[in-house]
Amino acid sequence: MPRRRTPPGRTQRRKDVRHRTGAGSGDAFRCVGCRLGVPVVAPGTAHRNHCPSCLASRHVDGRVPGDRASPCGGRMVAVSLSTRPDGEWQLVHQCTACGVLKLNRVAGDDNALALVRLAVRPLADRGLGRRALREL
Amino acid sequence: MSDTFTCVRCGLVVVTLAPGDARRNHCPSCLSSRHTIDHVDGGPSDCEGRMAPLSIAVQRDGSWSLVHRCTRCRELALHPTAPDDNQLILMRLAVRPLAEPPFPLDVFSTL
Ligand SMILES: [Zn+2]
Ligand SMILES: [Zn+2]
Repeated sequence: MPRRRTPPGRTQRRKDVRHRTGAGSGDAFRCVGCRLGVPVVAPGTAHRNHCPSCLASRHVDGRVPGDRASPCGGRMVAVSLSTRPDGEWQLVHQCTACGVLKLNRVAGDDNALALVRLAVRPLADRGLGRRALREL
Repeated sequence: MSDTFTCVRCGLVVVTLAPGDARRNHCPSCLSSRHTIDHVDGGPSDCEGRMAPLSIAVQRDGSWSLVHRCTRCRELALHPTAPDDNQLILMRLAVRPLAEPPFPLDVFSTL
């Protein structure tokens, strides 16, 4: 498909997007961690499931991603970063209510500082962490 | 329960009791585990798949835990590390995200 520039004065998104933030909204959700209103559409991700600012998520899915089969509803916090074989970072989320773990793709507009903070967390440790840093 | 188990990946016969009287759930040599507990609903799991170490999570007390993922069913689990776990593999896991950042880290040099 030929690349076309968006004509001036026209935005690519609908202007009448309603920023509903209540339960069941398809357009946006209210972050359970920092209360930020987050649009569901995110660059580099088909469906956003965590807050781009504080990385928190909500425990709604069961065993299959996107099935919304869990009744838990607990707050999920990012506890670890892992690297896929292709080099992409992934977030490990843990539910603060039930302890379940989930693996989520990092979105293109996720807070880079929050991601890096998570990445360096193991290295802040005095013993193993410092030794690991010297290996870098 | 038996006091030893054989690692599903490297075949090492492992004494279940780790230093400090904790029970091991992964091989101290290759850090692989076996999927025997249902980490979503609780109770035993009949998967029995090999769980591979995925990343390091830091607990509130500063200690390291291993995030394991089952190579068969993809379920995730969090297991505390033992004092005699393979330090080289642990360190590799710990530095991996920073060794291969998906964006240049020099933007943080001014922070
Ligand atoms: Zn939960
Ligand atoms: Zn499994």
